[in-house]
Amino acid sequence: MIIVNYIASIVLIVLGLYTVCTKKNLIKVVLGLGIVDYGVNLLIVSLGFNDGGTAPIYQMSDLLNGVAPHFFVDPVPQALTLTSIVIGACVDAMALSLVIMIYRKYKSINADDVRRLHG
Amino acid sequence: MIQHFPVLAVMLLFLGAFCVEIFGSKNEGIRNTITMLAATIALVLIYALIKPVMIDGEIISYWMGNWAPVSGYAIGIGYEIDALSLFFALLVVTTFWLSGVYSLSYMANDHHLGHYYTLYLMLSGSVLGLVMTGDVFNMFVMVEIMTFASVALTAFRNENEGTLEAGFKYLVIGSMGSSFTLTGIALIYGQCHTLNMAQISAQLSCGGLTPTTVMALALIVAGFGVKSYIVPFHTPAADAYMVAPTSISMIFSGMVNKAGVYGMIRVLYIIFRVMDQSNVQMLIVLFGAVTMFIGVTMALTQHEFKRLLAFHSISQIGYVITAIGLGSALGLTSGLFHAMNHTLFKGLLFLTAGAVLYATGTTNLDKLGGLSKRMPKTTICFLIGAFSISGLPPFNGFVSKWLVYQATYTKAVESGNFVYAIVTVVALVVSVMTLASFIKVTQAVFFGQLPAELKKTKEVPAAMLVPMYIMSALCVLCGIFYPIVNKYLLYPATNAALNVTNYIDKMMGDGYAAGLGVSNIEVAPAAFSFWNPIVWLILFVVIFIAAFIVITGSKSSRGQLLQPGVKYDPKYATFFSGEEELFSQVGGSDLFWGFKTDWKGYYRVLEGLHSGIVTDYAVFTVIATAIITLCMFIFMR
Amino acid sequence: MKFKEGITEKNVIIKCGADKFLPFALTFGLYIILFGTISPGGGFQGGVCVASGALLLYLGYGYNIATKAISTEALRVNEAIGASLYVILGLLGIAFGANFCRNIFYNMGAVGDFLSAGTITFMGYAVGYKVLSGVGFLLLLMLGLLAPDPDDADAAPAVEAIEAAEAPAELPLEEAVDAAVATETVKEGVTE
Repeated sequence: MIIVNYIASIVLIVLGLYTVCTKKNLIKVVLGLGIVDYGVNLLIVSLGFNDGGTAPIYQMSDLLNGVAPHFFVDPVPQALTLTSIVIGACVDAMALSLVIMIYRKYKSINADDVRRLHG
Repeated sequence: MIQHFPVLAVMLLFLGAFCVEIFGSKNEGIRNTITMLAATIALVLIYALIKPVMIDGEIISYWMGNWAPVSGYAIGIGYEIDALSLFFALLVVTTFWLSGVYSLSYMANDHHLGHYYTLYLMLSGSVLGLVMTGDVFNMFVMVEIMTFASVALTAFRNENEGTLEAGFKYLVIGSMGSSFTLTGIALIYGQCHTLNMAQISAQLSCGGLTPTTVMALALIVAGFGVKSYIVPFHTPAADAYMVAPTSISMIFSGMVNKAGVYGMIRVLYIIFRVMDQSNVQMLIVLFGAVTMFIGVTMALTQHEFKRLLAFHSISQIGYVITAIGLGSALGLTSGLFHAMNHTLFKGLLFLTAGAVLYATGTTNLDKLGGLSKRMPKTTICFLIGAFSISGLPPFNGFVSKWLVYQATYTKAVESGNFVYAIVTVVALVVSVMTLASFIKVTQAVFFGQLPAELKKTKEVPAAMLVPMYIMSALCVLCGIFYPIVNKYLLYPATNAALNVTNYIDKMMGDGYAAGLGVSNIEVAPAAFSFWNPIVWLILFVVIFIAAFIVITGSKSSRGQLLQPGVKYDPKYATFFSGEEELFSQVGGSDLFWGFKTDWKGYYRVLEGLHSGIVTDYAVFTVIATAIITLCMFIFMR
Repeated sequence: MKFKEGITEKNVIIKCGADKFLPFALTFGLYIILFGTISPGGGFQGGVCVASGALLLYLGYGYNIATKAISTEALRVNEAIGASLYVILGLLGIAFGANFCRNIFYNMGAVGDFLSAGTITFMGYAVGYKVLSGVGFLLLLMLGLLAPDPDDADAAPAVEAIEAAEAPAELPLEEAVDAAVATETVKEGVTE
């Protein structure tokens, strides 16, 4: 229960949504999407924390001696976060490649100019 | 052996996608073979599941890696296929198979077809995996694969006008929706410490709804709302359906929409089980009603064929969401039936639009006209689709729309809340406006006079006609033989959505649900009380024969078309403003001019909101999510 | 590579640095992939480390020589081969009578050995191979979009190639969740 992490992740999500909603440069919009993803990843990792726990791997000495493993943090959110980081990287890559092609075609990356489909 | 079929279907589609990537970029024959082989095997495997799941009523539960639950805790990824999942899986599999057959000749002139078929197979596999999984994070991963493949396919023909910006808008809004879903899933995990849907459902019933889970519910509903394009989230849909290749537009409106609807049903009815609270019902029904109305009024002013069909798609999904939000067995039945019918008739309409685009090279309603003389088979298929979507009697749209009206009206009578009566009236008005809009499209594209540059259009090849015929036949058959559809498809699906006990018990072991206090609801099969469509079919045939005899029997004189170069009697000059027009055609955008002028203020506001700027669309998304969250917190018990 | 008027050769310090760091990057990344089940890391992390080798090659030598050394066509095909290998390893479980992704090599070695974790080891290698070729392909593709030479014929590939590389990158996510289950494997292997 780390309060600072939760507050920080909410702040990141809100800042990311603010960037997507108000900035006109398309690259800043993509950056905002990335910040939302990072905020959500921070939230997921912080949810798995157990007070006083160590990393979720088995020590060789414990296994050889048949001792029960140490108290460790939850490993499932770490796997979820890894998946989410991969997804975030792919979203950023795809969005930036679209922005490059939009610049080639429209000669501008201002959101007010990229609006040939409306109504 | 039969329990392996669902996972085999999904994984063979993905394997097919990778094999097309390896082998198929140079050789066209191998590419088409691998694609159709993968699609056909998936079709056969899913259709083989009808007998055990729908007819015999068993639920297939499958743990990946044989990781069965240990001491009451689910540790593996589970796939659970009950009747609701199989209902949507059947729709998904039929749609993408027909789209594959269609795209064999529709996409034949494009470049980079290896990438197209890879993305098409990944899209199909991900939607199929989404509807069949029993693990909430696996569902999120499938939603992400679906979003990526959809964005890539939207921006596929990037030399055309506007494709790249439509793809970018789709990516921004879709990615925001996915982030909301992921936050909701993270909050659920923090509360329940498990990712299995059955176990979450059981734990939430004994713990009750804490503020964490209410926030999670609001965020997941908003996330799936973005995927199913209800109204403030509908903005990328109009652009994306317009610019995507038509075989993919058909998949978007037939499969990807339904994945969002399926997600909402799963979350609301099975995981959280909040649909017995009247405030949640009112929220979802109001969203659905607004979607219906805004979708159809925007559609009346469009000048482009596929964009008009996209707005109609949004409006019909509004019907489905309204019906699902009612919370009663009749509502759920009508919603599911309308979802199935929407896949069929909207897919048919998009396929005819693709045929028109392939034959003439344009979908602008002002430039087309009179195509029924050159493309008669496409015209008949289009008319069947147009009659179905407007809700005319012998077709399937009539049955499902009548059930929606009946469901909302019954709810208004039972609960005494007149808002549901207003929703019924809105649904009826929207149905009339849909019919008006399709009269406009039919006149603009298929009837009227043939412009000079379109005189050489030919009928489309057979590989494009066969899916259209199959879908038209299904439209007519589902309308006439609705009791069979109800008994074998809808009643098991509704039963599965309302009775959670079987779902939980099959995954976690018998007695788990009873131990946590979840009980069963008895569902009676929905009663149909409306006019028999067979009677209407006979009536139409009789009237048609009578009209035919009257028209061809009497030698009434018809008006003459104007011929170029011939001097006419000047007494007719008042009708042509004194000029000789080469042909007089009522253009597509001129037909409801009076209606559009009357509602000028409304349209100015609405078209100003659809400004095309991606940040505006993001603001709508955030505001709608905030509204959903606030309503859930204030009104939830 | 001509990236500004007048400059026709890369800086000698950058080239030397890239020379020295490239084998280290490749070895380190391969180590993380290979020892994925018994130390922190795994397929995705190691794959990205190896793919940074392509970036080092571009920084040191320029785009033309980097694409001559690593052909993007081969990378694209290898990515799909890695992904197919992952799915086939999962389907082996069905071929041996159990469910999908079943651990069929369960008595491969004692706990703590190099090859001891069963099917998930080979699935991790498949994921690592896929990610290294996929991310390398992605990097070279986007670097090619940056500043194509005017006398270079076709240095700007279409954007669908990028997008088709994105979509297959999603499948190893299944494996990421299975990694949580791998700890249970070791636990059961100890208690039996």
